[in-house]
Parts: sequence; structure tokens; C-alpha cells
Amino acid sequence: MNAREVSWRVFADEYSSSTMEYRGEGEKPVSYIVTPLGARVNRMLAVGVITEIEDVGEGDKPRYRARLADLTGTFYISAGEYQPEAATALSKMSPPAFAAVVGKSRAYSPEEGVKYLSIRPERIREVDAATRDYWVLETARSTLTRIDATGEAARMSQPTAGEMMRLGFPEGLADGVVLAAEYYGDVDLDRFRGVIRDALRAVLPDGASAPKAPEAERTKAPEEARREGAAREEMQELEVGADEEETVLGIIDALADGPKGAQWERIVEAAKEKKIDKVRLEEVVSALLDKGDIYEPELGMMKRI
Amino acid sequence: MGENKLAPHVEDVARALGSKLSEEEIESELKEYIEVYKLTIPMAKKTMVKKHGGDASAFTTGFQRKLAELRPNEPNVDFVARVVTANDKTIEAKGEKRRIMYGLLGDDTTTLPYTVWEPEGMQLEKGDVVSVKGAYTREYRGRVEVHFGNRVTVRREDPATIDASDVAQGPPKVVTINQIRDSMGYIEVKARVLSVEPKDVTVQGEEKTIYTGTMADQTGRIQFTAWSDFHLKPGELVKISKATAKSWRSIPQVNFDDRAELLRVKEKFPTAEELSRTSIVPISDVAQRGGAADVSVRGTIVEVRDGSGLIMRCQECKRALQKGTCKVHGRVEGYPDLRIKAVIDDGTGSVSTVFGREITEKLMGFTLDECMDKARQAMNFDAVKDSLDEALLFRIVDIGGNVTADAYGLSMIAKEAELVTPDSKEDIETLLVDLEETK
Repeated sequence: MNAREVSWRVFADEYSSSTMEYRGEGEKPVSYIVTPLGARVNRMLAVGVITEIEDVGEGDKPRYRARLADLTGTFYISAGEYQPEAATALSKMSPPAFAAVVGKSRAYSPEEGVKYLSIRPERIREVDAATRDYWVLETARSTLTRIDATGEAARMSQPTAGEMMRLGFPEGLADGVVLAAEYYGDVDLDRFRGVIRDALRAVLPDGASAPKAPEAERTKAPEEARREGAAREEMQELEVGADEEETVLGIIDALADGPKGAQWERIVEAAKEKKIDKVRLEEVVSALLDKGDIYEPELGMMKRI
Repeated sequence: MGENKLAPHVEDVARALGSKLSEEEIESELKEYIEVYKLTIPMAKKTMVKKHGGDASAFTTGFQRKLAELRPNEPNVDFVARVVTANDKTIEAKGEKRRIMYGLLGDDTTTLPYTVWEPEGMQLEKGDVVSVKGAYTREYRGRVEVHFGNRVTVRREDPATIDASDVAQGPPKVVTINQIRDSMGYIEVKARVLSVEPKDVTVQGEEKTIYTGTMADQTGRIQFTAWSDFHLKPGELVKISKATAKSWRSIPQVNFDDRAELLRVKEKFPTAEELSRTSIVPISDVAQRGGAADVSVRGTIVEVRDGSGLIMRCQECKRALQKGTCKVHGRVEGYPDLRIKAVIDDGTGSVSTVFGREITEKLMGFTLDECMDKARQAMNFDAVKDSLDEALLFRIVDIGGNVTADAYGLSMIAKEAELVTPDSKEDIETLLVDLEETK
């Protein structure tokens, strides 16, 4: 029997960037998804916000699909009759909710060149925000280690697991990074660093506690900052508008008079009074949605999580 | 050619042929080859050994190398060495159990680890001096290793060829405690003694006092055994040179005796109190060390296994009963107990952990009696397992104890455990600042 597979901590962004499948050796070969940063994932632990649960069961065969949003993207979860505990748990959960899932990596290729990655859950359960924050911290750290390892491997003409281990990387990671280096070639490490930064910032209560240095940098080179892609931009806006966020949250709370939250039109009006125009409001709201502070129970309604 | 000049060669041939010919016979035949047939001495020896059915390969003396000269990944190496240690081990390869041997070889230049993949018919014992032909080398964790494959020939030589005292240990490898592995040869380690106590043992029929305890540096803690009295005291900072490492129940330990050099060091070093404070290590570290004594890890409970909760144990042997039946004592009246079998995972590895009654009560917040009530009310023993699962799955927990390793991975019987609700905000901010700086 094989030793138990570790539960990798990988952000949704890194996981869904993966295109490499790998099968281990031996009598009972284990299948893995190898991420661009060399996580050789068979089992994983993910924590985020369940944003959608769909009952797609047929007859007496239950099947639930769910989306779990971390701060970088979405994990797709599918639990059927062979995952009874997870399926039951999903049937009782209602979005939005912080949830943790431990499960197996799955790849589905409906056609050549298309690959959908999902998690086949062993267990899924509602958790609290502190558990989510700790997962983000753990995942950020482990992603940084993989970025380091991938960078080291890129400097070697012929990276080997032995060399990687000599640099102090653990065996599993050393193996994965060597596989990834061969398959993915050069990986844009700065992009992944950016994703981590964004995720970490989003967990902090507001932009005020984020480091000051980038603020200065941004005022110096607004043009440059603008070019760094939509996600980044959103995050920067988010920081600038930390106070506005509180204001908008306040408005949403005040206007929420039913289980479905506050009406968008009324939020727009109330925001105008607070000197937040519609364009700005949309930015703030989309940042709040990304952070998982609010959600859209139905079109045109906003509610605090 | 004088007779005494030929004598060592005669001995060589005699060794190669065993008791097939007397020394006189060898000498006269060798002389004939050299003087009558005008063969060179090496050629004469080789021809003669071949003719009498010995192993002439031992005479390719020109190619025999010192261990220190061996490089990684050499397909074919010959050398003479002393077997410093020889251990047996059963491993599983391609689904089959097989026996291998491993240990250390030494000559006057260095010592190297070796592995014998097919030990059948090959008798290697500690203290043997062997000439080896057709071995190959690999590299593992920066050190050359000698492998004995199926093409190897091993011949026993006179043990006096390389005396134990001739074996060069080389400079001991300077290591931190987390780097200590089984069979690394001589090591040098600097650590603070946390505890030490004498123990009376019988070694080879002789009463002896040894000193065992724990020592620590910033990287971890390790158990040690001093085979002679160094008058060690708790709190002392020592540098031990020429210690050796050996695993006991898969946990590495440090051993040293009067051959070791022990220095008391005065320098800035964490205090005993700081070192006793449990420092949390990544599970991958523990896995790489092949287990460890007295470590703490922090991880998420990713599975609460079957067999957790309320169980009945055999009065005789304390084994957990299966459906009221003890594996050894059959159907017996059991007594109730609580335990948790859980998998703790920190993203770098996982540890299969068993928590005993006391810790289980603490973690779930119910006593054994309350659990009995609960089970009675529910008419179901599993009710307790369910509430354990409810309380513990995905919780973050700090656990401490000894970790052992086997083919299934790591396991620990927890000595300490505590559920934690970490406030990660501060760590996240620190990490962000670091990230901004490396931008």
C-alpha cells in the first residue's frame, strides 16, 4: 500500500492553471495533477466560500455540484453516490458559507485540449472565518515555497529531484517541480506572486493595515499600475476605497429589509448621497463580492455574508 | 629475484586460492612463470590463479581504488574496505518483500554507506575486510554510496589488512539536529543538554552504566546515549565530535563513547528553557528524518477515522474489542475507553495520530461517563464517533509526541494536543511586507 497522500494547499488560481496529468508508478499507480509551480496534487485541502450548490442527481443517485471561491478563483466540486458523506453535507448546506473541503484532484477532458479540473470531495463541512484565514496563510506560504523551488529549478540546466533536495526542498515538492519544469517550461513567477499578494490583502480587514510602501509606489506610477491587469487593479481600488467599503457595507446593511438583502437601485441612490458615484460604487461592490463580504442572492440584490 | 621479494605475491595468490595449494607450491610455480616464461609479476599471478580456479579479478590491483576517490554514478568500481557496520533490512520492492543489507565501509581514506541488494550467499559481517569488484556508486543527499548489484564479487581478506584503527572516519560531518539520519558515519553536533540520567545496562554480559537524555539546538531535539561518563549535566552546551547516529524504532538518536571528543562550549545559544519550549516543525521535516522524538506539529484534522470514539477493551490485554471479541482472548467482558484516531495534515505531510482517553476528553469536552450516557441514549456506540467528527473535522490542532515512520507513512501517539484558533492576521501582514520587499 502507498503512504497516504498529503493534502496540498493550492490557491484556485494555481490549480486551475494546471494542464499536466501525471500517473505514478507501482502496483497501484496514483494519479496527480501537477500545477505549474510543481505541486503534485492527488489530495488537497481548500477553504473558501461556497457560492453555489446544484442538485444534479438522477433518480436515487444523488449528485451535487458546488463552487467554492477562494480569493483567487473558483474550485469546482462534485460529489455523487460514492462520496456519500460529502453529498449529504452539500445537500444540507446553503450558500454562501465558509467551507473546507478535503478531496481528490480530478481532471475531465470533454475534448482534446480542454481540461476541467475539479475536486472530488472526501469531506466537506462549514467552517469559520478564522479557519479560512489560516488556510490562506498556509496556502500563501506553501505557494511561496513552490515559487522559490520553481525559480531554483529554472536556474538549473537539468533540474533533478536530488539537486532540489540538496537545496532543502522536501522530496514531494522536489519531484513535482522537476516534472513541472519539464512540462511547463518557463513560468511567470511574478504573476503568481501577485496572486498571493492580492489574496493576502483581501483577507486583511481593510486596506489601512496593508503595508504603506505600495501606496507610495502607486501614486508615483499610476500608469504602470493600470497596466498590471484587471484583478490587480481591482485590488488596488479596493485598498484606496477602504473607507468607502465600510460605507457601502453600512448602506447594504441598512437597506436589507428582507432575506434577500438590499435592492441595487436603492443602494445606488443611498451611495450618491454619500458622494459615491455609480461607477465607483460598482468597483467597491465588486471588490466586496470578491472578498466574500457580500453576495448576490439574486440578480439586483446585495446581502452581507 | 630474491625469495623475500616474491613473498607478498605468494601471499596474494594464496589468499586468492584459499587452501588449494601450499605456499611452497605457489612459490615454485610462480617462480616458474616469472623466470622460465618471463611473465610480468601481475600477469604471472593472474595466470596462476586462473589456472587453479581462483578469482583472478582480485589481481587487477592497478585499478583498485581508495574509497575517497570514488565518484557518484560510476558503473564499475573495485576497492578493498573494512565493513564498519552491517545491518539487515527487509524492504518491499515491486510488491515483493526482499532482504537487503546496508551499512558503512571504510578504508584509510574515508567511510561510505553501502547497500547490498542481493545478500543471499554473501556474508558480510562487521569487522570483515573485503575486496570488492564490480560494485557501482550513486549519490544520495550529497554523499557517495556504494551499491552491490548482481555483478559484484566480494572476497574476504585477512582482517588485519585494514585494522579497525586504520579506518579513516574523515572529518566528522557537522550537522544540526534536524539533519541527523541513521548511519551517517561520524558527526559533529553542537547542542544543549536538556536532560540526562544514568541507566544500568548489561552489555555483552558486562554491567555498565550509560547516560541517556535529550539534547536540543534551534532545529530540534534528539535523544542521546553516552556510553561512557562525560559527567554531563542538564543545561550544558556541548560540542560532540565523532558521535554516531543510529535509529531506534525509526527515530534517529545520537550515540557517543570515549572515542568521541566532547567540548563544553561557551557562546550565545538558546537557553534550555527556550529549547524546551515546543517549536512547531513542518511534517515534511519529520518525514525526511524518518521520524523524530518529541516533536510538535500544527496541522488540520482532515480525517477522523473509524475506530475513534467509545471502544471496549479487553481486561487482559487492553486490546480494543471487535464486536465484543478480543483477538487473543476471544469473547470477553470489556471495559470502556475513549480514543481518537485522526489524520493531521499541514500541507507538507500527514501524521496518523492516536489520542488516548485523557486527550480525547479534553478535545471533545465530554468525559468517558458522559459519552457512555450519550451512547446509551442513542443506543449506539457510534454516536460518540459522530460527535467527535462533528467537533474535530477541519479543526486546527497542535500535537506533540514521538513520530515513527513505516511504509504507510508517519504515526504518532500524541502526548499533548490542543485545538487552536489561530489569529492569522498578524502573520498575513508580515508575509505581505516580506512580499512587497522582494518585489
